[in-house]
Amino acid sequence: MSQTDFHYQKKELPASLSRLGIIIFVVGTVLSLLAFFVDQERAIFNYLVTYMMIVSIGLGSLFLIGLEYIAGADWSTPIRRIPEFFAMLLPVLFVLVIPILVFNHDLFHWAHKEAVADDKILQGKAPYLNETFFIVRTFVFIGLWSLFYFVMTRNSRKQDETKDQTLTKKNIRLGAIFIPVFALSITFTAVDLMMSLEPHWFSTIYGVYYFAGTVVASLAAITIAVILLKEKGYFGSWMTNDHLFSLGALLFAFINFWAYIAFSQFMLIWYADLPEETFWYLTRWNGGWVFISLLLIVTHFLVPYFALLTQPSKMNPKVLKFIAVWLLFAHLLDMFWLIMPNMGSMKSGYIFSWIDLVFPIAGTGLVIFVFAFAAKKANLIPIGDPKLKRGIDFHL
Amino acid sequence: MNIDYSQEMPTVAGRLTLAQIEELVAKPMDTKPDKKFYIALSISGTLLMIGATMLAISLYYGTGMWGNNQPVGWAFPIVNFVFWVGIGHAGTLISAILFLLRQKWRTGIARFAEAMTIFAVICAGIFPVIHTGRPWLAGYLLPYPNQHGLWVNFTSPLLWDVFAVSTYLTVSFVFWYVGLIPDFATMRDRSSSKIKKTIYSTFSLGWRHSNRHWTHYEKAYMLLAGFATPLVLSVHTIVSFDFAVSILPGWHATIFPPYFVAGAIFSGFAMVVTVLVFVRKIFDLQHIITIDHLEKMNKIILATGMMVGYAYAMEFFIAWYSGNPVESFVFINRAFGPYAWAYWIMVSCNVIFPQFFWFRKIRRSIPIMMVIVIFVNVGMWFERFVITVTSLSRDFLPSSWAYYKPTLVDGGILLGSFGLFFTLVILFTKALPVVSISEIKAVADGAQPTHHGGEHHE
Amino acid sequence: MNNEKKIYGITATFKTPDEIINAAKKVSNAGYIHFDVNTPYPVHGMDGAMKIKPSKLGFVTLVMGLSGAAIALLLMFWTMSVDYPIVIGGKPFFALPAFIPITFELTVLLATLSTVGAMIALFFRLPDNQHPLHDTEYMKSVSADKYGVVIEAEDVKFDEKSVLDFLKTLNPISTEIVFYPVVEEYPIFQPKFIMFLIAIAIVVSGGTYFSLNKLTIITPFNWMMEQDRVNAQSPSELFADGRGMRTPVEGTVAKGFIPYPYKGQTNPTEVLANPFLPTKENIALGKAKYFTYCTPCHGDFADGDSRLRGQFPNPPTLHSKRARDFSDGMIYHIITNGQNVMPSYASQITRDERWAIVNYVRVLQRAKNASDADLIDMNKEAGSNVAN
Repeated sequence: MSQTDFHYQKKELPASLSRLGIIIFVVGTVLSLLAFFVDQERAIFNYLVTYMMIVSIGLGSLFLIGLEYIAGADWSTPIRRIPEFFAMLLPVLFVLVIPILVFNHDLFHWAHKEAVADDKILQGKAPYLNETFFIVRTFVFIGLWSLFYFVMTRNSRKQDETKDQTLTKKNIRLGAIFIPVFALSITFTAVDLMMSLEPHWFSTIYGVYYFAGTVVASLAAITIAVILLKEKGYFGSWMTNDHLFSLGALLFAFINFWAYIAFSQFMLIWYADLPEETFWYLTRWNGGWVFISLLLIVTHFLVPYFALLTQPSKMNPKVLKFIAVWLLFAHLLDMFWLIMPNMGSMKSGYIFSWIDLVFPIAGTGLVIFVFAFAAKKANLIPIGDPKLKRGIDFHL
Repeated sequence: MNIDYSQEMPTVAGRLTLAQIEELVAKPMDTKPDKKFYIALSISGTLLMIGATMLAISLYYGTGMWGNNQPVGWAFPIVNFVFWVGIGHAGTLISAILFLLRQKWRTGIARFAEAMTIFAVICAGIFPVIHTGRPWLAGYLLPYPNQHGLWVNFTSPLLWDVFAVSTYLTVSFVFWYVGLIPDFATMRDRSSSKIKKTIYSTFSLGWRHSNRHWTHYEKAYMLLAGFATPLVLSVHTIVSFDFAVSILPGWHATIFPPYFVAGAIFSGFAMVVTVLVFVRKIFDLQHIITIDHLEKMNKIILATGMMVGYAYAMEFFIAWYSGNPVESFVFINRAFGPYAWAYWIMVSCNVIFPQFFWFRKIRRSIPIMMVIVIFVNVGMWFERFVITVTSLSRDFLPSSWAYYKPTLVDGGILLGSFGLFFTLVILFTKALPVVSISEIKAVADGAQPTHHGGEHHE
Repeated sequence: MNNEKKIYGITATFKTPDEIINAAKKVSNAGYIHFDVNTPYPVHGMDGAMKIKPSKLGFVTLVMGLSGAAIALLLMFWTMSVDYPIVIGGKPFFALPAFIPITFELTVLLATLSTVGAMIALFFRLPDNQHPLHDTEYMKSVSADKYGVVIEAEDVKFDEKSVLDFLKTLNPISTEIVFYPVVEEYPIFQPKFIMFLIAIAIVVSGGTYFSLNKLTIITPFNWMMEQDRVNAQSPSELFADGRGMRTPVEGTVAKGFIPYPYKGQTNPTEVLANPFLPTKENIALGKAKYFTYCTPCHGDFADGDSRLRGQFPNPPTLHSKRARDFSDGMIYHIITNGQNVMPSYASQITRDERWAIVNYVRVLQRAKNASDADLIDMNKEAGSNVAN
């Protein structure tokens, strides 16, 4: 194929996609509302699980965009629009976060004034863990993410028309500023929304742990989208298995990274055996939780590890698609495992309820809808990007 | 300066031909060493002799010659050990991780960085062994059925170190040697001296540049890189476990493994830049080790420096957030206690100075770069000092608090380790190709077929 | 000349990577199987052009890596949980999380070494410095900056002329016919030379042994066998009498020494009180000591009927009224001080052991002279035990 005369004709995603998204979303939302009336506490905890999942996909995507710019990677340039579409979830978080703030008494032990009053440790943490500061932080983070999302994607889209190389330069700068902002904001988001559910527990690696999962989830989402679009012919013939290999290799790298971080955290707490730290793991060893904990190791590490170990499997669209879907579930399970055992009635062991199943349905619908909505407004390929040709020429 | 993003930056600057590249790289080996070489060698040799003398004194009179006291039993030897192991990490990172990321610019510096890895790990290995006080009993660290009827303690992080560091040394060496085989063959075929030819033939194992071999060779290189990558992470992770599995405040933090790894890469890159700046100048390798490569390394230094800064910040935040009084004390003590001077050297060298690398001009200015990377080296040494010494000198029992001061012998051994490192580096530059000849040829302009594999061209 | 030597193959050299890819394709399409391409570095797309199958090296790595993990885990399991289990830091004997680091390291170590070993020895059949291609102009040029193809004589389609013609059609810079090297005789393998080496080895090792161990005495690390102190019973030059051990000065008291106040008195007016209760352990100790020191004269049951009876003035029975009426302290005094023919046992039996013997003697006395009341007590105890 000759790349000099690369012409791109935008092919719109079918309207059925956003319809599908809306239908799933509505069904999920109805069921979720029902869940709220049945068991408000369990519902809001489950809501948080799905919320964190959406943060993972959106924020991870924005991180990958930033990373592509500052690393100067070219293979991912042709598929950069996919993470850009997913990152549109970030401004949506302004709305999605509201239930968490409204029902924060159900979620956060430290939000109860009377509980803090007779707890020395919580009093010490009060300057950080208090409702006002919590709300301010949450909105500041979402605001920052949305800001970077808007500016970076606007530059990227503008480049489609102008083919102006300075826009790439601008985005490289923005990416470089975004990465430190991202590091801090994702850490404190993880601390605020998940670690502080058990306000007595602490771990310095917690932010990195959530970050590792975030990248896995967003890469998985991107991989699914890329393979589906490729199968339906939305990308030209240029999209080779070498591009998929790069996605597969990154997924493989980050599930290893996740396992490394998870093992480090567990190992250090297990070895030092300090009661103020071990209780967190012991809770996750109670009753049915032990199976979920072990299942997490299997789903989030062992199965994808062996599935993606060899080079041919990283290139195989079928394997890759399956594992990407699998990893989205694994990350959901990870969030579930982090969040749910903190619920008062679940501490002694896991008891299944249908409530646990409905929120991810609504989340899936929302993600599909937002993706379709964002895809309508832009080309599926950043046709003005100077690195595009190199990215299309990419071979192992 | 405006960059054209649609073009990949050339790995080799100046459009050299393959023969010119080979000539450039092989020059130090083909020519007799000049005066500069001997001056450099005598300086590093002197340092090495100082270290050897101090080591002999320590072995003769015992470890009482060191400043180690109660409660600071893990003083200079462990600080130096962690420092040197950290330096080693950049080499594997460049040769393995950047290889997997297909960063072509690594080819110019990979060989050198790998060699530095091996030398740094050799330097590192000395310290824990002499710290035992009776280095001749080091064999007891291996799990063999011995006359005591005892086994080593496999649950001890110190034993993990033994396995990690020795595996790391072995694998790095093998990786390095595999990379050298084609170059030995090239050197064999270009040398006319009989002795040289025999030596190169022996080490080249009779390599014939056969494509039936290259296939396996590239596969093996990929596999080795795939193993070296988690290995390099594991080594510093295990080093961090030495500290973090304990319950000593300031040591027991779950962020230690990635924090140590980031720090290791940070310090290693700083050391690589420090040495490469001289090497490219002395051996006229500016076309192969270009300013672009140095700039990229400086970017990585900036990134890893910020990761280290993140870890410092998280440690402080969680020390406060945990509500654990001992933990908070340790961190306040670090910043404002008797070792505050070391702490602030560490913070300024590791977090503040690298921030200058945000500016492109500074990233590409050799003198300023030199100053900053040397600060980073110093800062990273102090990081290990701060972690080891401040936590130990003031732990749970105030009655046993003590201030640790190193002795001259301690300093001498540290100097000696630098002497050893640079002596090995200097000898290496003369004995072996400092840039991988076959790899750099492969990424030179016009070295690869114009159409991919010629497949679309018939 | 050509007819004497065996042809290894015919080579052709090219200038650019495009040409060599093209040449490799043509050679392989022409049906040659035993041919090779030599390039100074791996050229992209060459595997496709030469129709080389992907490397199988990964299997070696996988198998050996898994073996490494298994060996590590088994070793740690066997040493830490089976052969010598010790509780360390309250961790279980099979502390899996703590075994993971070493398992990982050994996996990597074994996988790497065997991959490289297998690649060099099995896949490449190296080292091979005698290969016909070595030291040819061809090898020199492909080692530097040219690209070459060699068609080997082994190939069924090989025919010197046709191959040469075929290669010429590819427009090479040069072609070369490579012969197998004449097998050289290496002087190094001659028996005379080997004998010479052995002789040198013997002389050097013998000389080293003799000079190090016989002429000079070097003990580099003596494992603390030689220390700057005087061992018991050994001579010392420091003192005039040449002895290392010294008699203690007058009035020296041994550690833990307590003086006995009634020493040397035959009939003390007052004696010590028994500080020990007749517990099971104490009586067991007393019994053991009694059997060691007392039975030779007093007999197993203190009847004064021992095996030495008749050889000395007969020892008295300890069941006499007099003996039974002795206070504990008096019996202790007799053991300590001696009585009539009986010597003092103070140096053989420690204080606590003497008191234990006293308690045991009391047991014997009560057993041999039991009253009805004792029998009732015993029945009571037995009954209560049954009731329990």
